[in-house]
Amino acid sequence: MSDVGVVAGPSTSEWVLEVRDLKKSYENGRIEALRGVNLGIAEGDFLAITGPSGSGKSTLLHLLGGLDVATEGTVLFRGQAVGKPQNGTESKGAGSIDLDTYRARWAGFIFQSFHLLPSLNALENVQVPMLGTGGNRHGREERARAILVELGLEQRLRQYPTQLSAGERQRVAIARSLVNNPQVLLADEPTGNLDSVNSAKILELLAEVQARHGMTLIMVTHDESIAASAHRHVKMRDGRICN
Amino acid sequence: MRLTFAGFAWRNVWRRRLRTALTLCGIGMGIGAFVALVGFSRSFEHAWLEMYESSGTDLAVVQKTFLNTSVDQSVGPVLRGIPQIQTATPMVINMMAVTPEVNTLVYGWQANTFEFSALDILQGRRFRDGQQEVMLGELLAGSLNKKVGDTIDLQGGSFTVVGIYRSGSALEAGAIIMPLDEMQSLSGMTGKVTAFHVQLKPVPAGVSAAQWKQEAEDAVEHDLPGLRAVPAAERASNNQLVVLAHAAAWGTSLIALLVAALGIANTMAMSVFERTKEIGVLRAMGWSRWRVMGLILLEAAALGAAGGLIGVALGWGALHVLASLPQSASIVSTALPMRTLLDGLVMATIVGVAAGSVPAWRGAQLSPVEALRHE
Repeated sequence: MSDVGVVAGPSTSEWVLEVRDLKKSYENGRIEALRGVNLGIAEGDFLAITGPSGSGKSTLLHLLGGLDVATEGTVLFRGQAVGKPQNGTESKGAGSIDLDTYRARWAGFIFQSFHLLPSLNALENVQVPMLGTGGNRHGREERARAILVELGLEQRLRQYPTQLSAGERQRVAIARSLVNNPQVLLADEPTGNLDSVNSAKILELLAEVQARHGMTLIMVTHDESIAASAHRHVKMRDGRICN
Repeated sequence: MRLTFAGFAWRNVWRRRLRTALTLCGIGMGIGAFVALVGFSRSFEHAWLEMYESSGTDLAVVQKTFLNTSVDQSVGPVLRGIPQIQTATPMVINMMAVTPEVNTLVYGWQANTFEFSALDILQGRRFRDGQQEVMLGELLAGSLNKKVGDTIDLQGGSFTVVGIYRSGSALEAGAIIMPLDEMQSLSGMTGKVTAFHVQLKPVPAGVSAAQWKQEAEDAVEHDLPGLRAVPAAERASNNQLVVLAHAAAWGTSLIALLVAALGIANTMAMSVFERTKEIGVLRAMGWSRWRVMGLILLEAAALGAAGGLIGVALGWGALHVLASLPQSASIVSTALPMRTLLDGLVMATIVGVAAGSVPAWRGAQLSPVEALRHE
């Protein structure tokens, strides 16, 4: 494990994701969540971001995942800007990737609270990211089924979220995040709502998935022991990387 | 199970079953009112047209003015002198009470009018001019339980039922026909008629039917300033009763539709608010604003269309109930034009989309991260 996640100067081609002088403030600048973060993340990396509450780790994850836009600075995915920070609004531009496209094609999200849709069963939940994108129904279902089977949920395909255990729900959420073949997987406290046994299983699963699919995994956690299992570990405090 | 975009939208709509059912009731009532009222006014217009067409009326000669609809009966010879006109027969139409509960259309005709050709006399005979005699449509005779030889009281006078007839038009099947002079006396219209119904001579060779009719219209207006000759179809759609029926139907329906639209808007606004976090999840998974907006609009359209189906059924049922009541049977036809049913469905869907557009836009504008933080 390396603690060195900070980069300075120009990006290098090895970074799948890179942030340059990233700042994020709220309420007309009164609250500064990020105060100039520089970070490069290599392809296939497993990066853990830790820090106390309010340190800016979730904000950084949201910006890396294109869920939000920076007040200043740039997020680059393979050298292309992800969205554009223009007065806090999303926009397209030359050499940039539209935020929706980035989230749909390149980034997958896993949340602490799973966020499965209660009216859909496991198989249907996993198909949701593909809905409205044009592909055929049969192909969507087969793709979703294959991933759920891969994650050991072949017996739970027809179960609704309320019929699943917490660990199973998180596995469905992981399947959903993988269904569009993302290159970057972003996990926000993925074990925060799980007991220790299920936490260990989910972490093991994530590591397996990351290795098998060769994707980059970025995980926010407040648990130092979980962070210890990552390839790299970035610590944050007061909106800055502090290691 | 294979999930489709439309299926996903419908699942969202059906998730809150009670609220959706109540909203559907609201839309159903609005569309039902539209179908019943507009359907009634259109079938009313259709019945007029049917009546003119079955009797062979080509033109109706009426006053140019809207409120004063009476025409001097003395213009009859002038009309009959117009080269294109075969015959012009005067008629009076009015609404009268036959019982305290039942009002019906009453026509005053001359005993020799060509309009009898559209009637099939089932019992008895045709009335005679100058006699206190009436003929009843079979629908009215049935609802009043009257037969030939019975009497009926109209405006204080006693009239003998001399015939029962069948007609293809609801406006005649549920009506009374009496001698013109008796009708004029009852209505206080001595020397006046509502209109002249005109049959044209056969179209001569080398002239089109439209041209022949136009020439007749022009001749009437030239020879009788203040009057106009209108084709039967136009008369059916422009006569005062039909115009008033259309206006009342559309006015009432629009209010009902507005209430339905508010119901959908409220339901969709609540739905978007409750699902703010879910919208955030969809956005996090790469759903664009347009896709989110499309989903919410589709939900609103589905609500509208489903409510429309219920409304069409309700309106159709209401029209049949009205047609079965003696109080309204004479003016209500159950022959609901297909156009009205389609209009009801299309309008419900449009109302759904329009009412859902603001909630959809607001849902689509949510920032993913703010939506995910929503509690």
